[in-house]
Amino acid sequence: MKPFRARGREFVARLDRAEAGIVGLLLDQLEQLLTADAEGDPVLQRLFPPGHRSDREMADEYRELTEESLRGGKADDLATVRATLPADGGEIRLDADQAGAWLRTSNDLRLALGTRLEITEDTEPPEEIDDEADHQLAVYYWLTAVQGSLVDALVAGRAGPR
Amino acid sequence: MAGPLAPTWTPDTTVEEHGDLDRPWVTIVWNDPVNLMNYVTFVLQELFGYDEQKATTLMLQVHHEGKAIVSSGPRERMEHDTSRLHAYGLWASYQKDS
Repeated sequence: MKPFRARGREFVARLDRAEAGIVGLLLDQLEQLLTADAEGDPVLQRLFPPGHRSDREMADEYRELTEESLRGGKADDLATVRATLPADGGEIRLDADQAGAWLRTSNDLRLALGTRLEITEDTEPPEEIDDEADHQLAVYYWLTAVQGSLVDALVAGRAGPR
Repeated sequence: MAGPLAPTWTPDTTVEEHGDLDRPWVTIVWNDPVNLMNYVTFVLQELFGYDEQKATTLMLQVHHEGKAIVSSGPRERMEHDTSRLHAYGLWASYQKDS
């Protein structure tokens, strides 16, 4: 992976074939989750948290008002990421709107993985990959690096094209 | 002192909703172990137009104290702010200021 950086008005990065494949699989899984009717799933609860913490009625009202458009926004972002992901690896080249979609979707992927893996502030990257959980944790930290570089690139880009 | 004509029903409103009209509603961002610090700062700048210093201060408050009030105003606007934060995956909620 070559991390994201601002180039003119664009944001560019490079993924190798295996990395692009992993992102593609994660997108498929997120899409299934977003279209699933899986009330009570901890990942969905994290992606669509209650708007009010103590007033159940208000939280229900908030959900009714917002969930459809939140789901729609996430689905649109996901479609943008899929359309700009080089399936066999290669350069990613994004305009500002596409970069916003990558930013939000990569965060959703990290939230989903982080919730499944029960990440805490004390969790650390795996030293060795011995099992599936280690592998997923490694993917989580890889996504963290991708997203972190995109945030840095967007901040640099906001300062103006160089 | 309740006489026969005194109402026996409890008004269908709560103190939180209608008790103190002077207290504004607030949107709160809660700490979570996934969202990156630079991401939270970026989103607060992006959504609320805060300068880097203010956004960083709020982000650090979330990180160290577990939560921070990021906006205040009428309830409808706090609902809206909460949903904009949810669109970015921040762990947010709104409530009457306490």
